[in-house]
Amino acid sequence: MNAEHAAVALEAESLVVAAPSGAAGRIGFGPVDWRVSAGQLWVVAGPHGVGKSALLETLAGLIPAASGRVRVFGREVLGTGDDEEGLRETRRRMGLVFDGGGRLLSALSVGENLVLPWCYHRNAAPAEALAALRPLIDHLQIGSLLDRSPASLGRSWSRRVALARCLALQPGLLLLDNPLAGLDAVHLRWWRGFLAGALAGHPVLGGRSLAIVATTDEVRPYLGLDPRFALVEGGRWRMLPDIGSVPLATGEDASRSPG
Amino acid sequence: MAADVPTPDIDPGDAGHPASDAAPTGGLVGGGRSLTRLGAFTLITLATARRRLGENSRVVRPRILGEIHRCGVRLLPLVGFLGVVLGVVFVGQTASLMEQIGAGNFTGTLMVAVFLREMVPMTAALVVLARVGTAAVIDLGTARALGEVEALEALGIDPIHYLVVPRVVGFAVSVASLGLYLLVVALGSGHAFAYARGLRASPIEFLTQVAGALHPLDFPLIALKTGIFGAFLGLVICYEGLARPLTLAEVGAATTRSVATCAVGCLLVDAAFLAVYLLL
Repeated sequence: MNAEHAAVALEAESLVVAAPSGAAGRIGFGPVDWRVSAGQLWVVAGPHGVGKSALLETLAGLIPAASGRVRVFGREVLGTGDDEEGLRETRRRMGLVFDGGGRLLSALSVGENLVLPWCYHRNAAPAEALAALRPLIDHLQIGSLLDRSPASLGRSWSRRVALARCLALQPGLLLLDNPLAGLDAVHLRWWRGFLAGALAGHPVLGGRSLAIVATTDEVRPYLGLDPRFALVEGGRWRMLPDIGSVPLATGEDASRSPG
Repeated sequence: MAADVPTPDIDPGDAGHPASDAAPTGGLVGGGRSLTRLGAFTLITLATARRRLGENSRVVRPRILGEIHRCGVRLLPLVGFLGVVLGVVFVGQTASLMEQIGAGNFTGTLMVAVFLREMVPMTAALVVLARVGTAAVIDLGTARALGEVEALEALGIDPIHYLVVPRVVGFAVSVASLGLYLLVVALGSGHAFAYARGLRASPIEFLTQVAGALHPLDFPLIALKTGIFGAFLGLVICYEGLARPLTLAEVGAATTRSVATCAVGCLLVDAAFLAVYLLL
Protein backbone atom coordinates (compact mmCIF):
# COMPACT_ATOMS: atom_id res chain seq x y z
CA MET A 1 0.00 0.00 0.00
CA ASN A 2 1.52 3.33 -1.02
CA ALA A 3 1.43 6.57 0.98
CA GLU A 4 -1.41 8.02 -1.08
CA HIS A 5 -3.60 5.00 -0.40
CA ALA A 6 -2.77 5.13 3.30
CA ALA A 7 -4.41 8.56 3.55
CA VAL A 8 -7.38 7.67 1.35
CA ALA A 9 -9.83 5.44 3.13
CA LEU A 10 -12.39 5.05 0.38
CA GLU A 11 -12.35 5.55 -3.37
CA ALA A 12 -15.19 5.09 -5.81
CA GLU A 13 -14.59 5.21 -9.56
CA SER A 14 -17.50 5.47 -11.99
CA LEU A 15 -19.55 3.60 -9.42
CA VAL A 16 -23.18 2.99 -10.32
CA VAL A 17 -25.17 1.86 -7.32
CA ALA A 18 -27.78 -0.78 -8.14
CA ALA A 19 -31.27 -0.59 -6.73
CA PRO A 20 -31.72 -3.05 -3.88
CA SER A 21 -33.22 -6.34 -5.05
CA GLY A 22 -36.95 -6.46 -4.46
CA ALA A 23 -37.16 -2.68 -4.13
CA ALA A 24 -39.90 -2.16 -6.67
CA GLY A 25 -39.97 1.26 -8.21
CA ARG A 26 -36.53 2.19 -6.93
CA ILE A 27 -33.70 3.04 -9.23
CA GLY A 28 -29.98 2.99 -8.82
CA PHE A 29 -27.81 6.05 -9.19
CA GLY A 30 -24.39 7.15 -10.36
CA PRO A 31 -21.78 7.52 -11.59
CA VAL A 32 -20.02 8.21 -8.31
CA ASP A 33 -16.42 9.40 -8.46
CA TRP A 34 -15.45 10.06 -4.92
CA ARG A 35 -12.61 9.98 -2.42
CA VAL A 36 -12.90 9.93 1.35
CA SER A 37 -9.81 10.45 3.47
CA ALA A 38 -9.10 9.99 7.17
CA GLY A 39 -10.39 12.90 9.23
CA GLN A 40 -13.17 13.72 6.75
CA LEU A 41 -16.87 13.57 7.45
CA TRP A 42 -18.98 13.16 4.33
CA VAL A 43 -22.71 13.65 4.64
CA VAL A 44 -24.71 12.04 1.83
CA ALA A 45 -28.11 13.65 1.66
CA GLY A 46 -31.16 12.87 -0.41
CA PRO A 47 -34.82 12.05 -0.20
CA HIS A 48 -35.99 8.86 1.46
CA GLY A 49 -35.74 5.75 -0.75
CA VAL A 50 -33.30 7.21 -3.24
CA GLY A 51 -30.64 4.55 -2.58
CA LYS A 52 -28.42 6.04 0.14
CA SER A 53 -28.50 2.83 2.19
CA ALA A 54 -27.76 0.85 -0.97
CA LEU A 55 -24.70 3.08 -1.48
CA LEU A 56 -23.34 2.16 1.96
CA GLU A 57 -24.08 -1.53 1.43
CA THR A 58 -22.32 -1.37 -1.93
CA LEU A 59 -19.30 0.28 -0.33
CA ALA A 60 -19.26 -2.51 2.27
CA GLY A 61 -19.50 -5.16 -0.46
CA LEU A 62 -22.85 -6.45 0.73
CA ILE A 63 -24.53 -5.81 -2.60
CA PRO A 64 -22.77 -5.74 -5.94
CA ALA A 65 -22.47 -2.48 -7.81
CA ALA A 66 -24.16 -2.16 -11.19
CA SER A 67 -20.78 -1.01 -12.51
CA GLY A 68 -17.64 0.79 -11.44
CA ARG A 69 -15.09 0.18 -8.73
CA VAL A 70 -14.78 0.68 -4.99
CA ARG A 71 -11.52 0.54 -3.06
CA VAL A 72 -11.26 0.63 0.70
CA PHE A 73 -7.77 1.36 2.00
CA GLY A 74 -6.47 0.55 -1.45
CA ARG A 75 -8.12 -2.86 -1.65
CA GLU A 76 -10.85 -3.47 -4.17
CA VAL A 77 -14.28 -4.31 -2.77
CA LEU A 78 -16.23 -6.78 -4.87
CA GLY A 79 -19.82 -7.50 -4.00
CA THR A 80 -19.83 -10.70 -6.01
CA GLY A 81 -18.02 -12.90 -3.50
CA ASP A 82 -15.06 -13.43 -5.87
CA ASP A 83 -12.56 -12.67 -3.15
CA GLU A 84 -14.36 -13.67 -0.03
CA GLU A 85 -11.38 -13.69 2.33
CA GLY A 86 -10.08 -10.38 1.01
CA LEU A 87 -13.51 -8.85 1.44
CA ARG A 88 -13.73 -10.08 5.04
CA GLU A 89 -10.33 -8.62 5.75
CA THR A 90 -11.44 -5.29 4.28
CA ARG A 91 -14.65 -5.35 6.30
CA ARG A 92 -12.62 -5.61 9.48
CA ARG A 93 -11.20 -2.21 8.64
CA MET A 94 -14.56 -0.58 8.12
CA GLY A 95 -17.63 -0.36 10.30
CA LEU A 96 -21.19 -0.17 8.99
CA VAL A 97 -23.97 0.93 11.33
CA PHE A 98 -27.28 0.12 9.72
CA ASP A 99 -30.33 2.34 9.75
CA GLY A 100 -32.80 2.20 12.63
CA GLY A 101 -31.66 0.03 15.51
CA GLY A 102 -28.44 -1.06 13.83
CA ARG A 103 -29.53 -4.68 13.29
CA LEU A 104 -28.25 -6.18 16.52
CA LEU A 105 -28.52 -9.96 16.63
CA SER A 106 -31.78 -10.58 18.48
CA ALA A 107 -30.70 -14.03 19.71
CA LEU A 108 -27.79 -12.53 21.68
CA SER A 109 -27.68 -10.13 24.61
CA VAL A 110 -26.33 -6.62 24.16
CA GLY A 111 -23.01 -7.66 25.70
CA GLU A 112 -22.76 -10.73 23.45
CA ASN A 113 -23.51 -8.57 20.43
CA LEU A 114 -20.82 -6.16 21.47
CA VAL A 115 -18.04 -8.69 21.97
CA LEU A 116 -18.95 -10.96 19.04
CA PRO A 117 -16.68 -9.42 16.35
CA TRP A 118 -13.80 -9.06 18.78
CA CYS A 119 -14.12 -12.67 19.98
CA TYR A 120 -14.59 -14.03 16.45
CA HIS A 121 -11.65 -12.28 14.85
CA ARG A 122 -9.26 -12.70 17.76
CA ASN A 123 -10.51 -16.12 18.85
CA ALA A 124 -10.98 -14.78 22.36
CA ALA A 125 -13.30 -15.54 25.26
CA PRO A 126 -16.12 -13.07 26.00
CA ALA A 127 -14.67 -12.10 29.39
CA GLU A 128 -11.37 -11.25 27.74
CA ALA A 129 -13.17 -9.14 25.14
CA LEU A 130 -15.24 -7.31 27.73
CA ALA A 131 -12.12 -6.38 29.67
CA ALA A 132 -10.40 -5.14 26.52
CA LEU A 133 -13.44 -3.20 25.36
CA ARG A 134 -14.21 -1.59 28.73
CA PRO A 135 -12.87 1.87 27.73
CA LEU A 136 -15.04 1.81 24.61
CA ILE A 137 -18.07 0.67 26.61
CA ASP A 138 -17.53 3.52 29.05
CA HIS A 139 -17.00 6.02 26.25
CA LEU A 140 -20.28 5.00 24.65
CA GLN A 141 -22.03 4.90 28.06
CA ILE A 142 -23.56 1.48 27.46
CA GLY A 143 -22.14 -0.40 30.46
CA SER A 144 -25.54 -0.72 32.14
CA LEU A 145 -27.11 -2.31 29.05
CA LEU A 146 -24.84 -5.31 28.59
CA ASP A 147 -27.15 -7.92 30.13
CA ARG A 148 -30.24 -6.72 28.37
CA SER A 149 -31.75 -8.11 25.20
CA PRO A 150 -31.63 -5.91 22.09
CA ALA A 151 -35.42 -6.03 21.87
CA SER A 152 -35.68 -4.23 25.22
CA LEU A 153 -33.64 -1.24 24.02
CA GLY A 154 -34.97 1.92 22.50
CA ARG A 155 -33.85 2.63 18.98
CA SER A 156 -31.34 5.31 20.05
CA TRP A 157 -29.53 3.02 22.48
CA SER A 158 -29.72 0.09 20.10
CA ARG A 159 -28.02 2.22 17.45
CA ARG A 160 -25.34 3.22 19.92
CA VAL A 161 -24.67 -0.44 20.78
CA ALA A 162 -24.43 -1.19 17.05
CA LEU A 163 -21.87 1.62 16.80
CA ALA A 164 -19.92 0.10 19.69
CA ARG A 165 -20.01 -3.30 17.98
CA CYS A 166 -18.45 -1.77 14.86
CA LEU A 167 -15.88 0.20 16.81
CA ALA A 168 -14.73 -2.92 18.68
CA LEU A 169 -12.56 -3.79 15.68
CA GLN A 170 -11.10 -0.26 15.56
CA PRO A 171 -12.06 0.45 11.95
CA GLY A 172 -10.48 3.26 9.97
CA LEU A 173 -13.64 3.93 7.98
CA LEU A 174 -17.09 4.31 9.47
CA LEU A 175 -20.24 4.08 7.36
CA LEU A 176 -23.30 5.35 9.23
CA ASP A 177 -26.77 4.95 7.79
CA ASN A 178 -28.87 7.87 8.94
CA PRO A 179 -27.33 7.85 12.42
CA LEU A 180 -28.91 11.04 13.72
CA ALA A 181 -32.47 10.33 12.58
CA GLY A 182 -35.09 10.45 15.30
CA LEU A 183 -32.72 11.14 18.19
CA ASP A 184 -33.72 13.22 21.19
CA ALA A 185 -31.60 16.22 22.17
CA VAL A 186 -29.43 14.26 24.61
CA HIS A 187 -28.57 11.50 22.15
CA LEU A 188 -28.09 14.02 19.36
CA ARG A 189 -25.60 15.98 21.46
CA TRP A 190 -23.76 12.77 22.32
CA TRP A 191 -23.53 11.69 18.68
CA ARG A 192 -22.27 15.09 17.58
CA GLY A 193 -19.62 14.92 20.29
CA PHE A 194 -18.70 11.40 19.25
CA LEU A 195 -18.37 12.36 15.57
CA ALA A 196 -16.18 15.34 16.46
CA GLY A 197 -13.97 13.11 18.64
CA ALA A 198 -13.74 10.37 16.01
CA LEU A 199 -12.69 12.88 13.34
CA ALA A 200 -10.05 14.34 15.64
CA GLY A 201 -8.72 10.93 16.70
CA HIS A 202 -10.09 9.94 20.09
CA PRO A 203 -7.77 7.81 22.30
CA VAL A 204 -10.51 5.19 22.77
CA LEU A 205 -10.62 4.75 19.00
CA GLY A 206 -6.90 4.19 18.79
CA GLY A 207 -6.04 7.87 18.44
CA ARG A 208 -6.48 7.74 14.66
CA SER A 209 -8.73 10.09 12.75
CA LEU A 210 -11.54 8.08 11.24
CA ALA A 211 -12.99 8.63 7.81
CA ILE A 212 -16.74 8.88 8.22
CA VAL A 213 -19.58 8.67 5.70
CA ALA A 214 -23.07 9.35 7.03
CA THR A 215 -26.28 9.31 5.05
CA THR A 216 -29.10 11.56 6.09
CA ASP A 217 -32.51 12.90 5.20
CA GLU A 218 -31.67 16.15 6.96
CA VAL A 219 -28.28 17.89 6.87
CA ARG A 220 -28.85 20.47 9.60
CA PRO A 221 -27.66 18.30 12.56
CA TYR A 222 -24.27 17.97 10.89
CA LEU A 223 -23.56 21.64 10.58
CA GLY A 224 -20.76 22.68 12.88
CA LEU A 225 -18.88 19.41 12.29
CA ASP A 226 -17.25 20.82 9.15
CA PRO A 227 -18.67 18.13 6.90
CA ARG A 228 -18.53 17.78 3.12
CA PHE A 229 -21.82 17.22 1.41
CA ALA A 230 -23.01 15.05 -1.44
CA LEU A 231 -26.52 14.77 -2.75
CA VAL A 232 -28.35 11.88 -4.34
CA GLU A 233 -31.40 12.93 -6.25
CA GLY A 234 -33.21 11.74 -9.34
CA GLY A 235 -30.72 8.97 -10.03
CA ARG A 236 -27.78 11.38 -9.90
CA TRP A 237 -24.87 11.82 -7.53
CA ARG A 238 -23.67 15.35 -6.94
CA MET A 239 -20.93 16.62 -4.64
CA LEU A 240 -21.84 20.02 -3.30
CA PRO A 241 -19.03 22.54 -3.55
CA ASP A 242 -19.66 24.35 -0.27
CA ILE A 243 -22.00 24.60 2.61
CA GLY A 244 -23.79 27.53 1.02
CA SER A 245 -25.12 25.30 -1.73
CA VAL A 246 -26.73 22.87 0.74
CA PRO A 247 -29.94 24.79 1.40
CA LEU A 248 -30.33 25.44 -2.31
CA ALA A 249 -29.92 21.76 -3.15
CA THR A 250 -31.86 20.19 -0.32
CA GLY A 251 -34.41 22.87 0.41
CA GLU A 252 -33.40 22.87 4.06
CA ASP A 253 -32.88 25.99 6.09
CA ALA A 254 -29.29 25.36 7.12
CA SER A 255 -28.98 28.64 8.98
CA ARG A 256 -30.98 27.29 11.91
CA SER A 257 -29.13 25.92 14.88
CA PRO A 258 -28.49 22.15 14.72
CA GLY A 259 -29.73 21.76 18.30
CA MET B 1 -18.92 -17.73 -4.48
CA ALA B 2 -17.99 -19.53 -1.36
CA ALA B 3 -19.51 -18.85 2.02
CA ASP B 4 -21.40 -15.77 0.99
CA VAL B 5 -24.55 -17.71 0.19
CA PRO B 6 -26.93 -15.59 2.22
CA THR B 7 -26.38 -12.52 0.08
CA PRO B 8 -29.59 -11.27 -1.46
CA ASP B 9 -28.92 -12.56 -4.96
CA ILE B 10 -28.57 -16.25 -4.09
CA ASP B 11 -32.02 -17.16 -5.23
CA PRO B 12 -33.16 -14.70 -7.84
CA GLY B 13 -35.61 -17.13 -9.36
CA ASP B 14 -37.57 -17.56 -6.18
CA ALA B 15 -37.30 -14.21 -4.51
CA GLY B 16 -40.71 -12.77 -4.08
CA HIS B 17 -42.34 -15.42 -6.27
CA PRO B 18 -43.17 -18.31 -3.97
CA ALA B 19 -46.18 -19.23 -6.07
CA SER B 20 -44.12 -19.76 -9.21
CA ASP B 21 -43.57 -23.41 -8.30
CA ALA B 22 -47.27 -24.07 -7.93
CA ALA B 23 -48.04 -25.03 -11.54
CA PRO B 24 -47.69 -28.78 -12.29
CA THR B 25 -44.65 -28.47 -14.56
CA GLY B 26 -43.40 -25.47 -12.61
CA GLY B 27 -43.55 -27.65 -9.52
CA LEU B 28 -41.18 -30.18 -11.01
CA VAL B 29 -38.83 -27.53 -12.35
CA GLY B 30 -38.99 -25.59 -9.10
CA GLY B 31 -38.37 -28.76 -7.10
CA GLY B 32 -35.36 -29.56 -9.26
CA ARG B 33 -34.00 -26.04 -8.81
CA SER B 34 -34.50 -26.17 -5.06
CA LEU B 35 -32.69 -29.49 -4.91
CA THR B 36 -29.80 -28.08 -6.92
CA ARG B 37 -29.56 -25.05 -4.63
CA LEU B 38 -29.75 -27.23 -1.54
CA GLY B 39 -26.94 -29.31 -3.00
CA ALA B 40 -24.87 -26.18 -3.63
CA PHE B 41 -25.59 -24.95 -0.11
CA THR B 42 -24.46 -28.32 1.26
CA LEU B 43 -21.20 -28.17 -0.68
CA ILE B 44 -20.55 -24.61 0.48
CA THR B 45 -21.20 -25.63 4.07
CA LEU B 46 -18.88 -28.63 3.82
CA ALA B 47 -16.17 -26.52 2.19
CA THR B 48 -16.49 -23.85 4.87
CA ALA B 49 -16.40 -26.41 7.68
CA ARG B 50 -13.29 -28.00 6.19
CA ARG B 51 -11.52 -24.72 5.46
CA ARG B 52 -12.27 -23.18 8.82
CA LEU B 53 -11.80 -26.29 10.91
CA GLY B 54 -10.47 -25.12 14.27
CA GLU B 55 -10.67 -21.42 13.37
CA ASN B 56 -12.44 -19.07 15.77
CA SER B 57 -12.88 -22.08 18.03
CA ARG B 58 -13.68 -19.99 21.11
CA VAL B 59 -16.75 -18.68 19.37
CA VAL B 60 -17.82 -21.63 17.23
CA ARG B 61 -17.23 -24.45 19.72
CA PRO B 62 -19.57 -23.02 22.39
CA ARG B 63 -22.18 -22.59 19.67
CA ILE B 64 -21.85 -26.28 18.71
CA LEU B 65 -22.18 -27.29 22.36
CA GLY B 66 -25.19 -25.00 22.69
CA GLU B 67 -26.84 -26.70 19.73
CA ILE B 68 -26.13 -30.15 21.18
CA HIS B 69 -27.70 -29.02 24.43
CA ARG B 70 -30.73 -27.57 22.68
CA CYS B 71 -31.30 -30.45 20.24
CA GLY B 72 -30.03 -33.31 22.34
CA VAL B 73 -29.82 -32.87 26.10
CA ARG B 74 -33.07 -30.93 26.42
CA LEU B 75 -34.95 -33.58 24.43
CA LEU B 76 -33.84 -36.49 26.63
CA PRO B 77 -37.07 -36.55 28.70
CA LEU B 78 -39.30 -36.51 25.62
CA VAL B 79 -37.24 -39.13 23.80
CA GLY B 80 -37.15 -41.24 26.97
CA PHE B 81 -40.93 -41.13 27.17
CA LEU B 82 -41.21 -42.03 23.49
CA GLY B 83 -38.75 -44.85 24.04
CA VAL B 84 -40.94 -46.32 26.77
CA VAL B 85 -44.05 -46.00 24.63
CA LEU B 86 -42.39 -47.49 21.55
CA GLY B 87 -40.87 -50.21 23.70
CA VAL B 88 -44.23 -51.24 25.08
CA VAL B 89 -46.20 -50.80 21.88
CA PHE B 90 -43.75 -52.27 19.41
CA VAL B 91 -40.91 -54.18 21.06
CA GLY B 92 -42.92 -55.69 23.91
CA GLN B 93 -45.93 -56.67 21.84
CA THR B 94 -43.81 -58.06 19.01
CA ALA B 95 -41.62 -60.13 21.32
CA SER B 96 -44.68 -61.44 23.11
CA LEU B 97 -46.53 -62.27 19.91
CA MET B 98 -43.54 -63.94 18.27
CA GLU B 99 -43.20 -66.26 21.23
CA GLN B 100 -46.92 -67.06 21.22
CA ILE B 101 -46.78 -68.19 17.58
CA GLY B 102 -43.59 -70.14 18.17
CA ALA B 103 -41.33 -67.78 16.28
CA GLY B 104 -39.44 -66.51 19.29
CA ASN B 105 -36.10 -67.28 17.60
CA PHE B 106 -36.81 -64.61 15.00
CA THR B 107 -37.50 -61.82 17.49
CA GLY B 108 -33.93 -60.54 17.32
CA THR B 109 -33.94 -60.47 13.51
CA LEU B 110 -37.22 -58.59 13.48
CA MET B 111 -35.99 -56.11 16.08
CA VAL B 112 -32.84 -55.37 14.12
CA ALA B 113 -34.47 -55.18 10.68
CA VAL B 114 -37.47 -53.05 11.61
CA PHE B 115 -36.84 -51.33 14.89
CA LEU B 116 -33.12 -50.71 15.08
CA ARG B 117 -32.42 -49.97 11.44
CA GLU B 118 -35.61 -48.13 10.51
CA MET B 119 -37.77 -46.90 13.36
CA VAL B 120 -35.11 -45.61 15.73
CA PRO B 121 -33.25 -43.29 13.32
CA MET B 122 -36.47 -41.97 11.79
CA THR B 123 -38.14 -41.36 15.16
CA ALA B 124 -35.11 -39.56 16.57
CA ALA B 125 -34.92 -37.36 13.45
CA LEU B 126 -38.62 -36.51 13.46
CA VAL B 127 -38.59 -35.61 17.16
CA VAL B 128 -35.67 -33.23 16.65
CA LEU B 129 -37.35 -31.77 13.59
CA ALA B 130 -40.63 -31.18 15.40
CA ARG B 131 -39.26 -29.85 18.67
CA VAL B 132 -36.19 -27.90 17.56
CA GLY B 133 -36.07 -27.75 13.78
CA THR B 134 -39.20 -25.70 13.23
CA ALA B 135 -38.17 -23.17 15.88
CA ALA B 136 -34.72 -22.96 14.30
CA VAL B 137 -36.18 -22.10 10.88
CA ILE B 138 -38.24 -19.35 12.48
CA ASP B 139 -35.18 -18.00 14.34
CA LEU B 140 -33.00 -18.01 11.25
CA GLY B 141 -35.72 -16.77 8.92
CA THR B 142 -36.51 -13.88 11.25
CA ALA B 143 -32.83 -13.00 11.53
CA ARG B 144 -32.59 -13.09 7.73
CA ALA B 145 -35.71 -10.98 7.28
CA LEU B 146 -34.47 -8.39 9.78
CA GLY B 147 -31.12 -8.06 8.02
CA GLU B 148 -29.11 -9.55 10.88
CA VAL B 149 -27.24 -11.85 8.50
CA GLU B 150 -26.02 -8.86 6.49
CA ALA B 151 -24.96 -7.28 9.79
CA LEU B 152 -22.82 -10.35 10.48
CA GLU B 153 -21.25 -10.12 7.05
CA ALA B 154 -20.57 -6.42 7.53
CA LEU B 155 -18.59 -7.37 10.64
CA GLY B 156 -16.46 -9.75 8.58
CA ILE B 157 -18.09 -12.79 10.16
CA ASP B 158 -18.80 -15.73 7.86
CA PRO B 159 -22.52 -16.54 8.36
CA ILE B 160 -22.03 -20.11 7.16
CA HIS B 161 -19.27 -20.64 9.68
CA TYR B 162 -21.06 -18.85 12.52
CA LEU B 163 -24.70 -19.88 11.95
CA VAL B 164 -24.80 -22.99 9.77
CA VAL B 165 -21.83 -25.18 10.69
CA PRO B 166 -22.65 -25.31 14.45
CA ARG B 167 -26.25 -26.22 13.67
CA VAL B 168 -25.37 -28.97 11.22
CA VAL B 169 -22.80 -30.50 13.59
CA GLY B 170 -25.13 -30.08 16.59
CA PHE B 171 -28.07 -31.69 14.81
CA ALA B 172 -25.94 -34.59 13.54
CA VAL B 173 -24.48 -35.37 16.97
CA SER B 174 -27.85 -34.92 18.68
CA VAL B 175 -29.88 -37.16 16.37
CA ALA B 176 -27.21 -39.89 16.55
CA SER B 177 -27.06 -39.72 20.35
CA LEU B 178 -30.81 -39.54 20.78
CA GLY B 179 -31.19 -42.54 18.48
CA LEU B 180 -28.89 -44.61 20.71
CA TYR B 181 -30.73 -43.44 23.82
CA LEU B 182 -34.11 -44.24 22.27
CA LEU B 183 -32.91 -47.71 21.33
CA VAL B 184 -31.70 -48.55 24.83
CA VAL B 185 -34.86 -47.26 26.52
CA ALA B 186 -37.20 -48.95 24.03
CA LEU B 187 -35.47 -52.34 24.20
CA GLY B 188 -35.41 -52.18 28.00
CA SER B 189 -39.01 -51.15 28.45
CA GLY B 190 -40.18 -53.48 25.66
CA HIS B 191 -38.53 -56.46 27.25
CA ALA B 192 -39.92 -55.53 30.66
CA PHE B 193 -43.43 -55.35 29.20
CA ALA B 194 -43.10 -58.66 27.34
CA TYR B 195 -41.55 -60.32 30.39
CA ALA B 196 -44.54 -59.19 32.46
CA ARG B 197 -46.79 -60.80 29.86
CA GLY B 198 -45.00 -64.14 30.15
CA LEU B 199 -41.97 -63.90 27.86
CA ARG B 200 -39.52 -66.61 28.91
CA ALA B 201 -36.31 -64.98 27.67
CA SER B 202 -34.34 -63.19 30.37
CA PRO B 203 -32.98 -59.69 29.62
CA ILE B 204 -29.58 -61.21 28.80
CA GLU B 205 -31.11 -63.80 26.47
CA PHE B 206 -33.24 -61.16 24.79
CA LEU B 207 -30.29 -58.85 24.21
CA THR B 208 -28.19 -61.79 23.01
CA GLN B 209 -30.91 -62.59 20.46
CA VAL B 210 -30.89 -58.99 19.22
CA ALA B 211 -27.10 -58.82 19.20
CA GLY B 212 -26.94 -62.13 17.34
CA ALA B 213 -29.08 -60.73 14.56
CA LEU B 214 -26.82 -57.72 14.11
CA HIS B 215 -24.37 -57.53 11.24
CA PRO B 216 -20.97 -56.06 12.20
CA LEU B 217 -21.60 -53.24 9.77
CA ASP B 218 -24.86 -52.34 11.51
CA PHE B 219 -23.06 -50.26 14.15
CA PRO B 220 -21.27 -47.89 11.78
CA LEU B 221 -24.22 -47.83 9.39
CA ILE B 222 -26.73 -46.86 12.07
CA ALA B 223 -24.39 -44.21 13.46
CA LEU B 224 -23.88 -42.93 9.92
CA LYS B 225 -27.58 -42.99 9.13
CA THR B 226 -28.65 -41.07 12.23
CA GLY B 227 -25.77 -38.66 11.74
CA ILE B 228 -26.79 -38.07 8.13
CA PHE B 229 -30.41 -37.58 9.17
CA GLY B 230 -29.31 -34.96 11.69
CA ALA B 231 -26.94 -33.20 9.31
CA PHE B 232 -29.63 -33.20 6.63
CA LEU B 233 -32.11 -31.60 9.03
CA GLY B 234 -29.56 -28.96 9.95
CA LEU B 235 -28.77 -28.20 6.31
CA VAL B 236 -32.40 -27.95 5.20
CA ILE B 237 -33.31 -25.81 8.18
CA CYS B 238 -30.43 -23.41 7.57
CA TYR B 239 -31.08 -23.38 3.83
CA GLU B 240 -34.75 -22.52 4.24
CA GLY B 241 -34.06 -19.99 6.97
CA LEU B 242 -30.98 -18.28 5.60
CA ALA B 243 -30.18 -18.88 1.97
CA ARG B 244 -33.20 -17.18 0.43
CA PRO B 245 -34.15 -13.55 0.83
CA LEU B 246 -37.14 -13.59 3.14
CA THR B 247 -39.66 -11.15 4.46
CA LEU B 248 -41.21 -11.71 7.87
CA ALA B 249 -44.43 -12.81 6.16
CA GLU B 250 -42.56 -15.59 4.33
CA VAL B 251 -40.99 -17.13 7.45
CA GLY B 252 -44.08 -19.28 8.13
CA ALA B 253 -44.06 -20.69 4.60
CA ALA B 254 -40.32 -21.39 4.85
CA THR B 255 -40.95 -23.32 8.07
CA THR B 256 -43.63 -25.48 6.49
CA ARG B 257 -41.43 -26.06 3.45
CA SER B 258 -38.51 -27.13 5.61
CA VAL B 259 -40.63 -29.68 7.49
CA ALA B 260 -41.85 -31.22 4.25
CA THR B 261 -38.35 -31.25 2.73
CA CYS B 262 -36.83 -32.81 5.85
CA ALA B 263 -39.47 -35.56 6.04
CA VAL B 264 -39.19 -36.45 2.35
CA GLY B 265 -35.41 -36.19 2.41
CA CYS B 266 -35.10 -38.47 5.43
CA LEU B 267 -37.30 -41.06 3.70
CA LEU B 268 -35.10 -40.90 0.60
CA VAL B 269 -31.94 -41.31 2.69
CA ASP B 270 -33.66 -44.21 4.42
CA ALA B 271 -34.39 -45.82 1.06
CA ALA B 272 -30.74 -45.42 0.05
CA PHE B 273 -29.65 -47.16 3.25
CA LEU B 274 -32.18 -49.93 2.62
CA ALA B 275 -30.35 -50.68 -0.61
CA VAL B 276 -27.12 -50.99 1.39
CA TYR B 277 -28.79 -53.30 3.92
CA LEU B 278 -30.10 -55.53 1.13
CA LEU B 279 -26.52 -56.02 0.00
CA LEU B 280 -25.38 -57.10 3.48
